[in-house]
Amino acid sequence: MARHYSSFDRRGWRWLLQRVTAAFLVVVLAFHFFLLHFVHHAADITFAGTRFRMSNLGYFATMWLFLVTATFHGVNGVYNALVNQGIAGTQKRVAQVVLVAAGALLVVQGTRVAVAMAGISI
Amino acid sequence: MSQRYDRGSVEDFGRWTEFSAGMWAWVFHKFTGWVLVGYLFAHIAVLSTAIEGAATYNATLQGLESLLVVRVMEVGLLAVAVFHILNGMRLLLVDLGVGLEAQDKSFYASLVLTGAITVASVPTFLAGLGGG
Amino acid sequence: MSTEPQQPEPETESEPEPEPEPESREPGHARRTAETEKARRADERERARTGEQRRHAAEAEDTYHLKVFRYDPDVEAKAEPHFDDFHVPYEEGMTVLDALIHARDEYDSSLTFRHSCRQAICGSDAMFVNGQQRLCCKTQLSALEEPVRVEPLPHQQVIKDLVVDMEHFYEQMEAVEPYFQGETPEDPTTEQRQSRENRETVKMSTRCIWCGACMSSCNVAAGDNEYLGPAAINKAYRFAMDDREEEAVKEHRMDVLAQEHGVWRCQTQFSCTEVCPKDIPLTEHIQELKREAVKSNLKFW
Repeated sequence: MARHYSSFDRRGWRWLLQRVTAAFLVVVLAFHFFLLHFVHHAADITFAGTRFRMSNLGYFATMWLFLVTATFHGVNGVYNALVNQGIAGTQKRVAQVVLVAAGALLVVQGTRVAVAMAGISI
Repeated sequence: MSQRYDRGSVEDFGRWTEFSAGMWAWVFHKFTGWVLVGYLFAHIAVLSTAIEGAATYNATLQGLESLLVVRVMEVGLLAVAVFHILNGMRLLLVDLGVGLEAQDKSFYASLVLTGAITVASVPTFLAGLGGG
Repeated sequence: MSTEPQQPEPETESEPEPEPEPESREPGHARRTAETEKARRADERERARTGEQRRHAAEAEDTYHLKVFRYDPDVEAKAEPHFDDFHVPYEEGMTVLDALIHARDEYDSSLTFRHSCRQAICGSDAMFVNGQQRLCCKTQLSALEEPVRVEPLPHQQVIKDLVVDMEHFYEQMEAVEPYFQGETPEDPTTEQRQSRENRETVKMSTRCIWCGACMSSCNVAAGDNEYLGPAAINKAYRFAMDDREEEAVKEHRMDVLAQEHGVWRCQTQFSCTEVCPKDIPLTEHIQELKREAVKSNLKFW
């Protein structure tokens, strides 16, 4: 077991990206919570208000980036947790496929939602 | 050890009373992480009603917000998010090699702050419940 | 340190200045006298206290209660793991290892555990004492609550009683090539000197005694069998940070460390750092290597 450590995988990029997205998410998640629970109460949210916010390009872009980074951070976090648990072989392969698919699905659906909210017709 | 001898309570979580700060921070961070990623999927699913149109969207959101369970769970979500944010900042500092000696204190600080922020926000989260 | 009651030193009493001082003396002088007086009284109190402690020790039947894990697959009565109680007479300065040795020599010669140097150098006697990985030879009984539970290191297979299989730990240590790989100079008798600064960088990491306490405490190593573990990474740090090794060797070392089951698995729980009997800042070293790996990756791009 000890001898076959390969010298090809240098997967530091996932570690780094997890940190970079974390730094971004800390700010945006706090902003998101603050805006939609304290500035606007969650109960008072209507479609009109949502559309108004999402029509702003900066807000739209931020929210979309929020979606993508949160998806990566979450899915990668789950994967890390599984690897720490010691999954390997087929199990690991399956986890990778499932998680990548779930992440992709979430981003696609999230983008569709964002587009609908902003009222952009494609 | 592939086939390690099971010593019952000697192993892992049977020892939770002997966990140190860093281990608790990890357990909580992982737990809150699972909750948040689960919520992310649920969140997008609920917001997907926006594709159906304004009426469905408004009805769904307001219907959910009128439930006490949802409000309580939202407070829980806030607690989870705040802890994940605060402990996440602690971990970023640890990754940068800053303040490693104070890692236990910064964990306790995250906990206390999370508690304080959560308690302080309860009125905001329950506001307008029932009355509309 | 001698604990014999000492005669008060005559100099203290016959200081040039007698105690009732006329006011004409400068304040500094008075303070100094007061200080000597304070020190003398503290000394007296200290002496009285140790005397008292010793008397207490003599009165109470001073034994320490040990609960020791027993297991031996080859002996029918011990095939089922259980705890045996030992009441070991306490002597000042007694360590957990001393107590175990006493228990083995006086009560049960079948009690099995590893030990050798008894001075925290050989790294043989790391065990799980009162819920923490500790080196038994440098753990004072007086610092522990009774009963003192002594168990083999968690997350390793138990061979017998307190002896665990260390093979996997050693394999991980070997995997990082724990030896100096600087180029041999033309004249092999030339010293290969290290700068003082560089020595400071690796100083703490050289203290590892391969006891395995850190690896046993690590939650991730427990789950992921391929994880190199804190001790091996620290060992790699000792050489990767050594300026005398060439750049290519360092690259090779980083390749080993930066693979999936290398440094990235560390979740900064600080368990290893807390249990290390040699106070090596393991987490700090692992974190530094993560940053090194990222830096060399970015350079590569």
